[in-house]
Amino acid sequence: MMATRQARRRLGMKIATIVGLCLGAVFAGFPVVWMLSTSFKTNGEVFQVPPRLITENFSFDAYWKILTDPTQLRFFLNSYIVALWVTALTLLAGILAGYGFSRYEFRLKRFINVAIVSVQAVPPITLIIPFFGLVVALGLYNTYGGLILTHMVFTLPYAIIMTTAYFNTLPRELDESVKVDGGSGWTALWRILVPISVPGLIAVGIYTFMISWNEYLFALTLTRTDDMRTVPIGIQLLMGQHSYEWNQMMAMSILGSIPVLILFLLFQRRFIGGLTSGAVKN
Amino acid sequence: MTGGSTRVQSRLRRILGVVTAAILAVAAVGCGTGSGEGSAGSSEQGGPVTLEFAQWWAPELPEGAFQELMTQFESQNPNIKVKLLSGPYASTKQQLVSGAASKTLPDVVGLDGAWVNDFAKQGALTDLSALMADAKYDESQLASQIKVDGKTYMIPVVNFVYPLFVNKDLSSKAGVKAVPNNRSEFLDAAKKISALGGNVKGWALPLDTAVPNGIQNDVMSWLWASGGSMLTPDGKPNLTSPPVKSTVEYVKSLNDADVIAPGSLTMKEQDKVEKFTAGQVGMMIDSLAHINLIKKNSPNLDFTVAPLPAEDSYTGKRGLPYASWGIGIADSTEHKAEAFKLVEFLMSQQANAQLSTLANGFPGNNTAEPDFSKSDPLFKTAFDIYKKGYPANEFVGLPKSEELMRTFDEQLQLVLTGKQSVDDALNKTQQSWASVI
Amino acid sequence: MGPAHIDRTVLPEAATLEAETSTPPARDRRRPFTLRSLAPYGYISPTMLLIFVLLVIPIVMVVSYSFQDNVIVVKNPVFAGLANYTKVLTDPVFWTAIKNTLLFITLSTIAHLVLGLAFAMMLNTGLLGGLTKAIFRVVYILPWLFTIAVVAVIWRLMLDPFGVVNYILTSFGILQTEVNWLASPSTALWALTFINIWSGYPFFMISLLAGLQGISSDLYEAAAVDGANPIQQFFNITIPQLKPVLISMAVLDLIWTSQQFALIWLTTGGGPLNVTEMLSTYTYKQAFSSYEFATASASAVIILLLTMILAFFYVRQLRER
Repeated sequence: MMATRQARRRLGMKIATIVGLCLGAVFAGFPVVWMLSTSFKTNGEVFQVPPRLITENFSFDAYWKILTDPTQLRFFLNSYIVALWVTALTLLAGILAGYGFSRYEFRLKRFINVAIVSVQAVPPITLIIPFFGLVVALGLYNTYGGLILTHMVFTLPYAIIMTTAYFNTLPRELDESVKVDGGSGWTALWRILVPISVPGLIAVGIYTFMISWNEYLFALTLTRTDDMRTVPIGIQLLMGQHSYEWNQMMAMSILGSIPVLILFLLFQRRFIGGLTSGAVKN
Repeated sequence: MTGGSTRVQSRLRRILGVVTAAILAVAAVGCGTGSGEGSAGSSEQGGPVTLEFAQWWAPELPEGAFQELMTQFESQNPNIKVKLLSGPYASTKQQLVSGAASKTLPDVVGLDGAWVNDFAKQGALTDLSALMADAKYDESQLASQIKVDGKTYMIPVVNFVYPLFVNKDLSSKAGVKAVPNNRSEFLDAAKKISALGGNVKGWALPLDTAVPNGIQNDVMSWLWASGGSMLTPDGKPNLTSPPVKSTVEYVKSLNDADVIAPGSLTMKEQDKVEKFTAGQVGMMIDSLAHINLIKKNSPNLDFTVAPLPAEDSYTGKRGLPYASWGIGIADSTEHKAEAFKLVEFLMSQQANAQLSTLANGFPGNNTAEPDFSKSDPLFKTAFDIYKKGYPANEFVGLPKSEELMRTFDEQLQLVLTGKQSVDDALNKTQQSWASVI
Repeated sequence: MGPAHIDRTVLPEAATLEAETSTPPARDRRRPFTLRSLAPYGYISPTMLLIFVLLVIPIVMVVSYSFQDNVIVVKNPVFAGLANYTKVLTDPVFWTAIKNTLLFITLSTIAHLVLGLAFAMMLNTGLLGGLTKAIFRVVYILPWLFTIAVVAVIWRLMLDPFGVVNYILTSFGILQTEVNWLASPSTALWALTFINIWSGYPFFMISLLAGLQGISSDLYEAAAVDGANPIQQFFNITIPQLKPVLISMAVLDLIWTSQQFALIWLTTGGGPLNVTEMLSTYTYKQAFSSYEFATASASAVIILLLTMILAFFYVRQLRER
């Protein structure tokens, strides 16, 4: 009968989906599992043949060493502070710019469009030296401010593209309804548009946080002292001239991924909202 | 949106918001700038001078050892404080170039000999000859100085020689009676070790083009061990000469005999060491500084060091490749005299001997004797090898040495993969080098 | 009639900087120079200021370097006209780099799209419970969380001839002997692309997942009523609805992947035999090994011009829709 055929088809698809998900999970997760496994090994065991997931000298030494080292902890704190500020400021500037692009027509709009998309293409390695000189001239060398502004330069283009897109889908009638009540464009932006776009903004925020957290080249060049350096630099410091501290590197990476993971866990529900949350269209 | 979960969610969000705001607030108020302003050092009239010293040495030494040396220096020089800056080794050169360009180099910099020529040309380094003359420094105690155009820009503080490391377990298992002393013996030993099968090979050759110092340490070393030279007496490239050709052909023969560990074309120096430590490679040419590392990671590994094998007929002194921890002074520093005091200290007999012992290297001060009593006996063996031979690294002081090595590396890779003849490769490299040197 | 409760949780239909919904208020057209017409500039001013000072100025400096000789490394740079550009454009390694880069970014972007969409659809299915999906979501986002140096290093370790990947493949009989994934000229580029695909697909997945949420289920129901099977629904509803997102993501990804430097440098360094030499590694070697900053700047400008062409076409096709 129809019902059983449909039910069987559903079951078949369900199984196929689960199998697909599991294969995908192996693809996505295996290297991370290997990272974890390496973080518990001693350096000598890393190159053992045949490779083993769990070795005899399983220990939390690497984690302990990092968590009790004030320099490393300072790296984590710095990464946090920079990434949080970058996210906050990028979202702010991005919302403003997105509103401007979405709600207004003006000369140069197309030009700025193209410019914003294409300037991301300049190889950072060639920008390093002029950038460096500029940052020093502005007095921002070896400061949080220098790093924050630098990271913003890399995260803003994407943020603006996204916020403009979100605002574009919200009809102007919403703005009008505020203006009718005596408000201005500014009020419309903050009272209506932003609250509705929150899920999308969260996605942008998480992405921005991640870019800032994992950025290495400029963080290295624009900082000088250990009290300003960030986690990616901390990890590379463990790649010495003569050998790598494998377990500590992996441990630090795992520890470094936890903040972003937590952010994602906390906010994922919000921007994966769902078919179940009952969208009501105007 | 449904009620219950939202309430929990919104409370969570509120907590997160408060925490975030708190962190941001702390950040804004407390720690706006890093310690030590952008430019090098600081001093008031007659107040203490702070020198910034950028190096990659501290992490390679026992915990806190280098800082202790600096404390010693500070106690001998009450007016000077030293702030150690460290950075990832792999990015050091790039950071120094950038720092020089924006005049933010620290006062004192750790250098590798291969970089000196280019930094000197960039105007990044101070002329040390002038400083030494000013301070009436006795130059004869320096084992070597790296000069460009007759002026010294870097002084090697600790030298790390690269002898041959031999895994005694593997070689005795393979039936190799004695440590190979010339090229034929080496080839023979490598073949026997590779015959053990599994994942074991006789030799490792790191030819990574990103950091191509395998050319210096693992290829040219064969040339220098037989007293050969890759340059003419007036410093021009001489790659088409018979000694260089025989070196390349020898490496090719090792490759053809399948005694080299797989992955050679992108292998980095660290990989070579790790494979030796894991017992996958029987012999390698490597830095003495790794003895402690190998012992730490693989305490049961029985290995020894030996002079590099020379050509069968060669009986002269054997060149031993080396790399140094060198020191230079930035041209942009305001405290040249104080910086030189630090250099003097590190090169002084007692401090230099101490540092060399800690690092398992050989002193840059030729009157300093490293303390062998507490270190590995292999260290003494290596020192004897060092004394019997001569330090040989023709890349030090050459302009664009990394590029020279890379061009040679690329051509060598073509030879090893059978895409080019040895003569063609050497000719092409010769031409390329001639445009640089 | 207050603002209705719109729960738009997602990436909208048009990722565009052009306003699509309605024409600009007539007011602006009639009085072009009022204070009000300056409003848009006000909104974009923080961004413009930052980007101008910290990005445009350095880019201008880079362009100026490209017309000089011996910048940075010698105290007195000399004007050199187009000499550096000629040098770059006649260098065979440059063209190898372009070829490799094109291959690399195209393959990566396509795979990112396909994988991202596949995973997003699997994670969006109604067939499984919320908790299961949440767990898998977390697992799938893992590659994104790590800094690129660590990704490079761990994959290098796993792809070592005697590493775990070869071990597993030979144990299951899929391979007979160990393959030198990253050191063999025939496999290096593909291995590198694979690693890049692994590390970059989560971005697509998340965006597409959000995008999928925005497709009204009414459309699917209507199609099912009309007798369309899942495959037809996919091609006639899902893809067209996601098209703007897909295109935007693709263009951005092409640009970002062409920037990829650390991954290549730490795994293969551009070798062996230049098979993985990309524009980014080529430029780096020019700058920091050859100390030819002028040439490196020329190379950078060429890359910028090529990308501007791409960006121009991208923006143009947005308008036309």
